[in-house]
Amino acid sequence: MKRGLITWDKADLPPSVFEARLAKARAALVAQDLPALLVYSDVWRSTEGRHLTNYMPYWNRSLIVIPREQAPVLLCGLSPRVYPWIKSVTVFEEIRPASKLVPTLLQLCTERGWTKLGVLDLPRLPHEIHLPLATSNVGISGVKLDLTDDAEIAMLRRAEQMAREILTAELSKGVGLTDYQFSGLLERAFRRAGAEDLVLLFSTGDAAPRPAHGAMLRDKYSVAVALEYRGHWARVRQGLPL
Amino acid sequence: MINEHRRKQLLDLMAARGWDSILLYGNAWRKDPFRSLVNLNFSGDHALARLARSGEINTTFSDPWDAENASGTLQPDFEKAFAGGASAVAGLEFMEERFVAACGALPVSATADVEELRRVKTAEEIGYIKQACDLADRGYQRFVEVAEPGMREFELVAEVEAFLKENGAEDNFMLIASGGTEVVGMKPPTERKFQKGDSVTTELTPQVNGYYAQICRTLILGEPSLEQRKSFEIFSEAQCAAQDLIKPGITAADAARAQNDVFRKYGYGEYTGAKYTRVRGHCLGLYPDETPHILEDVDYVLKQDMVVIAHPNTYLPLSGYMVFGDTLLITETGNTRLNKTEKKLFTK
Repeated sequence: MKRGLITWDKADLPPSVFEARLAKARAALVAQDLPALLVYSDVWRSTEGRHLTNYMPYWNRSLIVIPREQAPVLLCGLSPRVYPWIKSVTVFEEIRPASKLVPTLLQLCTERGWTKLGVLDLPRLPHEIHLPLATSNVGISGVKLDLTDDAEIAMLRRAEQMAREILTAELSKGVGLTDYQFSGLLERAFRRAGAEDLVLLFSTGDAAPRPAHGAMLRDKYSVAVALEYRGHWARVRQGLPL
Repeated sequence: MINEHRRKQLLDLMAARGWDSILLYGNAWRKDPFRSLVNLNFSGDHALARLARSGEINTTFSDPWDAENASGTLQPDFEKAFAGGASAVAGLEFMEERFVAACGALPVSATADVEELRRVKTAEEIGYIKQACDLADRGYQRFVEVAEPGMREFELVAEVEAFLKENGAEDNFMLIASGGTEVVGMKPPTERKFQKGDSVTTELTPQVNGYYAQICRTLILGEPSLEQRKSFEIFSEAQCAAQDLIKPGITAADAARAQNDVFRKYGYGEYTGAKYTRVRGHCLGLYPDETPHILEDVDYVLKQDMVVIAHPNTYLPLSGYMVFGDTLLITETGNTRLNKTEKKLFTK
């Protein structure tokens, strides 16, 4: 699960950025004559939903619905007790509890009179979501969106810079530690700097990089860092000797 | 790396169901079906184990480093890993549809069958969970040591995470909350600074060798109020009621009811429902929130060597959201508490 700082800094990503992204999604709906776009999101597949709404399912999974002419709706497996927090870090004003995602989605379609839906990245929809949707009376079609814009690139650069700077500052401190110990040191540094999530892999040159497993780090090792900062992933790898 | 006990269980299952092959699929979020047979902490997006009736296991990975470390097959175009299909798949529900389509004929879901096999732990698995419990205890000790007024929630999580990783945790499921009666639940950490008098709650769930164990405790920064003490007494009584009851043959519903009845006795029955809480506990293993959940409508009969946590975590108007719970190993006649942390309302 995500246990780093999840936030929405509107200096980084002002609401106008999300308005433009939603407008791009709605333009795709108009082009395909679809009334709404469905975006699947879970704890590890959150990039697309995050890009469009800043929503990060720190645990569990959700469906994001972007109507062509109305505000986005979040169908959420998380407790309503965290909705105020979700609203504080996303563009959502409407969140519906959805322990069963597809029935809740189909209910929304009925309410809004939708007989078809666009689905972002349709082939990657989890089977448990795809099957009941594909066999319902709501037609589904794949929608492609270019999720690149200047704000996205700027945030990716920041994440990459953060990963590189911290790893450069900390890299030599691993000498004489086990990879477990060094992993702890890096976790502290990255998470205190605001990392949302972190994957660390170590290699001492005798095998491919892998998660910490108790190996001693001597004068030759490398660290691969995958860092998530405010929804943006960066990967860097550095090694000793430099 | 191969769980031989599980291989035998799966072969028996395949024979009973008439399956020629079974796939165990894991992705970056749900590694557990794969790891139930091949206990490798893969770091890429996808991993697949194929078990044939002969007992032969083949592994395929989407990431080259995983493939190299496991001496498995690398398949960057992971749809091809499903070519030839299979009789059944554990993890079918969260497989991407393109993978299901690549199987050809739709396989049967083996997810429920495999989850049932996983519920009763082997001695080796219990050993890993005991190690995780020990780490959870030490992690909570660290939590109490470093928490202080002025510190931000995410900084405390960073410190605890660092401690857990230094001491061998692969992963950690951790929720936190801080404040007073306005706090209705837990979530990831925010930038909020702790204040004197805060109730600081956490579920701490480190993973060791694939297996999770959990501890839930509440820390008061400063002298607890009368209401916080009174609230904790209710939580403690509820958790003890479950711990006293849990043994082979009772149901998950019994364990939930025992906890909820304590809240009802004190006039707080409404706070045992879905508006204020999620579950009264759950199983632990290769996933931190394994089923069956401890809820009054779950009639699953508990068995020896299952590992559960009973936690009556909920909101009460006395104290705000409060948590209290320990990991329990179900024994032949009762249960053993695996956490060693003192059962009390922590103060600092």
